[in-house]
Amino acid sequence: MSVVQKGADGLGRGIDDRLGSSNFVRRSLNKVFPDHWSFMLGEIALYSFIILLLTGTYLALFYTPSLSEVVYDGSYIPLKGVTMSEAYASTLHISFDVRGGLIMRQIHHWAALLFVASIAVHLMRVFFTGAFRKPREINWVIGVGLLVMAILEGFAGYSLPDDLLSGTGARIASGIMLSIPVVGSWAAFLLLGGEYPGTELLDRLYIAHVFIVPLAILGLITVHMMMIWYQKHTQFPGPGRTEHNVVGSRLYPVYAAKAGGFFFLVFGVLALLGGLAQINPVWLYGPYDASQVSAGSQPDWYIGFLDGSTRLMPNWEFYLGGYTLSLNVLLPTVVMPGLIFTAMALYPWIEAHFITKDKRAHNLLDRPRDVPTRTAIGVASLTFYIVLLIGGGNDVIASIFNISINQISWVLRILCIVGPPIAFVITKRICLSLQKSDEHLLHHGIESGTIRRLPTGEFVEETVPLPAQYRLNLTRVAGDHEAIEGGHGDPGYDLEAVGHAEAPRSKGFFRPKGVSRVDPEQAERTEVGALEPSGKPGSPPQ
Amino acid sequence: MSDNEPSIRERLASRPTDEANSGGDSRVSDVSASDFQQTHTDPSAPQEHLTGLQFAEPLGPPRELTPAESKSAERKVSALFLLSVVGVVGFVLVYAFGEETYDQPNNWLYTPLLGVFMALALFGVGAGAVLWAKLLMPHEEAVQERHDLASSAEERAATATALKEGLAQANLGRRPMLLGSLALGGGALALLPVPFLFGLGRFQNKEIKLGTTGWREGVRLIRQNGTPVRLGDLDVGAVESVFPDVDHGTKLADSPALLIRMSPEELRLEGEAAEWTYEGHVVYSSVCTHLGCPVKLYEQQTHNLFCPCHQSTFDAAHGAKVIFGPAARPLPQLAISVDEDGYFVAQGDFSEPTGPSYWERG
Amino acid sequence: MNSTATVRKRRKQLSSYAVVLLALSLVGTLYTAFGAPEGQAQDAPANQSMAVKEGRELYLTGCSTCHGLNLEGGSGGPSLIGVGASSVVFQMESGRMPLAAGTQQAPRKPVKYEISEIDQIAAYIQANGGGPELPSADNADLADGDLQLGGALFRTNCASCHNFAGSGGALTYGKYAPELKSASARVIYAAMQSGPESMPRYGDNQLTPEEKRAITRYVRYLTQEADNPGGAGLGRYGPISEGLVAWVVGITALVGLTLWIGARA
Repeated sequence: MSVVQKGADGLGRGIDDRLGSSNFVRRSLNKVFPDHWSFMLGEIALYSFIILLLTGTYLALFYTPSLSEVVYDGSYIPLKGVTMSEAYASTLHISFDVRGGLIMRQIHHWAALLFVASIAVHLMRVFFTGAFRKPREINWVIGVGLLVMAILEGFAGYSLPDDLLSGTGARIASGIMLSIPVVGSWAAFLLLGGEYPGTELLDRLYIAHVFIVPLAILGLITVHMMMIWYQKHTQFPGPGRTEHNVVGSRLYPVYAAKAGGFFFLVFGVLALLGGLAQINPVWLYGPYDASQVSAGSQPDWYIGFLDGSTRLMPNWEFYLGGYTLSLNVLLPTVVMPGLIFTAMALYPWIEAHFITKDKRAHNLLDRPRDVPTRTAIGVASLTFYIVLLIGGGNDVIASIFNISINQISWVLRILCIVGPPIAFVITKRICLSLQKSDEHLLHHGIESGTIRRLPTGEFVEETVPLPAQYRLNLTRVAGDHEAIEGGHGDPGYDLEAVGHAEAPRSKGFFRPKGVSRVDPEQAERTEVGALEPSGKPGSPPQ
Repeated sequence: MSDNEPSIRERLASRPTDEANSGGDSRVSDVSASDFQQTHTDPSAPQEHLTGLQFAEPLGPPRELTPAESKSAERKVSALFLLSVVGVVGFVLVYAFGEETYDQPNNWLYTPLLGVFMALALFGVGAGAVLWAKLLMPHEEAVQERHDLASSAEERAATATALKEGLAQANLGRRPMLLGSLALGGGALALLPVPFLFGLGRFQNKEIKLGTTGWREGVRLIRQNGTPVRLGDLDVGAVESVFPDVDHGTKLADSPALLIRMSPEELRLEGEAAEWTYEGHVVYSSVCTHLGCPVKLYEQQTHNLFCPCHQSTFDAAHGAKVIFGPAARPLPQLAISVDEDGYFVAQGDFSEPTGPSYWERG
Repeated sequence: MNSTATVRKRRKQLSSYAVVLLALSLVGTLYTAFGAPEGQAQDAPANQSMAVKEGRELYLTGCSTCHGLNLEGGSGGPSLIGVGASSVVFQMESGRMPLAAGTQQAPRKPVKYEISEIDQIAAYIQANGGGPELPSADNADLADGDLQLGGALFRTNCASCHNFAGSGGALTYGKYAPELKSASARVIYAAMQSGPESMPRYGDNQLTPEEKRAITRYVRYLTQEADNPGGAGLGRYGPISEGLVAWVVGITALVGLTLWIGARA
């Protein structure tokens, strides 16, 4: 026995003597994670957050959250001798006089953009595959909370350098607070310490940015991951995959190697971006001054949809008996995001109660085409979001493509109202026709190209039936039969309702009436329940 | 480990040809359950009851790598790991000897080089680990049972009983006074942080602060550098950012204004507003009435004032009324005149509060 | 010393390597910092009246159709009385004049005239119409100002339309403030002096010649001399291009990596 092995054994025994951890460790190492590339999207967000913590800590060692005025005397010549806040001067110091400070700042900022972007991509994956369904609604809500927190965190960070751009953003934020009826001016004075800009803004944003919000994010991420661990990951349907098992690779060693390696790859991409692509060149914007602004003043991309909604909003303002109600600000910046995020958080229940009427638990994922209404809702929402996002950049688009900003604004105003319904209808039709083509494949097989002459003289093309594993992908029979009633694994389903939750709605739309997606007889023959090694009751009761 | 047996995957793939004779009808897969029940057990692996695992495929690589292949895979992975060493060495060299400060030549290379070497170092380890898993670790299809999330009916009942018993022991139901006073005490305690919350802001004269600016009667209009603006400084078609000549006048966020000069006949103001101008000079607040951005984009031919944040457009010739965008109110106008030394002075504060709307604004 | 030389040499090698990497990288567009060549410094013609005379010839052939035989203007173009030499320099040296098709705003075009010819026309129009004149014909002289002062004035007066880095920006109804990279010192100075189209005019009482030189210096510095210390500038349009790169480069690369990791070997 080698020394190393001896040492490891001794260490393991020592720990287990004290904690009795062998069982837990072994079960953890053997935990199975389903293998699919799209299950790694959330990891990007997690890793970006870790990178944000690492780079952010380094930056915090040099940054001073102070509005006190200093005269700049660093190595960036064009600003030498300019009076500016300590916050801005320390940001310049990080950029030009701390070795490797600029790359830290740039990696931090790129990581922030990618943190929110990867949350968005992960959220889309979870949404379109129905991974949010029972029993995972709580984790979905936590995810939505994380998205909101990430946006807030990003905004607070954007405002810290106290350059022209960040100051403009803070100014807009204070204007938004003022628009809230009755309590608006109180809220603004409370957060700023007084009338804008006040003296406390940066201190408070700083504490929010480096302590309060990251702590909240960290806490939510912990719960998010613990719930994934406890509830086990969802998986796509496939041979041998049922509602009652997890098929994939174990945490140790394959999954750990891949996931650990992926962390360094994400970090590598961010290092490359941080080194090769300039982000937020604060020295060009100059120190914040309430009377100055740059053309094309924009928020970071994740606030862009709010900027867009604010730009496209008509100028509705009402005066009620001595009070002002600024709907032109309130609706697009407070009410709309409030409604969007609330609807998003409640979506799992909305869907279960009103759309699919499916309140059972699911561990097998949907293919987007198999739930046309959900997919259509998702695409319609994305359309709305993207129209607003484009609105947030309409001035840069106008400037680059030489179009009238007013024309773009009008086109986008119309698009954000008519676009989503059109996207809804088109998406739903595409889903249904994809279903139909799947059904064709399933029932008639793949066209082989071989023409055969029948004894009657008729020519037919021979078809090859689909290989089994693809067939399981194409039919959701397995998933639907096994949806877990009340989480007990009790398949108390109604054969009539089996097959496609959406089937009744889609009849006659793209599929001939009276042909249901999966006929019961066929479903019976599948005997998917028997696939399970666990021998759980899963086959239809006869 | 039985190497000769075809894997599940292979057997699945071969199945359809068997079925081809049956006409390829609409039968859904009848992948037989036995495919998954005949799992392969590795004698060296811990027993199933300890791992809760079964394997749908034999442990070990999908097919045995030849020694040459295995060696080549190992070399690839090692090369990637060694790439990290190169990255780190390069990074340290650039970091230590690079010209990082801005006033030196070639500084534009410093950060990009750091990034490239850092990425090299990170990619080496990352890609190496992934490739190791992909090429050299067994491709297992482990199957693990999910446990039921919901508790059994008995357990639920027992928990409910425990909760109820506790409540009963605390006697809450039978002691309304306790309950009531607890509610009051707890509620009062919850209000304790509110004073601290109010301590965060200074609310004295909140509305006056919001409603007024630094401009007063007789205050001169100064530029950002502090020099006062004199009649005749601006040509027709010129615009100047002006500030009140008071303490910290150029720093007051609600006071910046734009002094615009156009030919007097172009300026079409009505009533009082016309008297607030001086020989074609007119002053508007440059704080947007929408969300407070500086409205400083002035088109001297159309007299449009444009806000770069949300594209509100104001017509400076017509009292800065809104002609496009989300702003609802015109930019407030500042009444000006010229003092005996020929400098522009304000006649008072703005015609109305500057900046974004707020509830109490009226 | 030897080791320093080696390091220096190695650094040079690293540099060339990095140049290739940078060029290959898809991370945004690396804008090369070389715009239009500087207009050749032109000594003022010894004989001013000679220049006026030659300018008149050029004017009558090239400009009078629209602007009238006596600068009085016509249906095709405005009167040039009082616009001054600076306006001529701005419009002609940036290629805006002679005007092509009727557009919302005169766009920059390749320059049709030699700098010397432009100076002659400018001299002619100055002599006959009067108006703001350039204090010097020399690019270097016009950009000889204080960098820090120029920066401060640029942020107060120019950045609101031309953007923080001189990348230009949109105005109302299809008008725009052009980017400043392709503008020579003469054109920049002349623009402030003459206030072309939408741009406000900055007379010498508002911005002194010294201040205008400072602004010109800053703009030239910003668009021609200053390095991008942190990699490619991404067009310097602000967070819009950064967001685009985050998605198109960052997320695409990372999702690509998940596909690679998820794929079977």
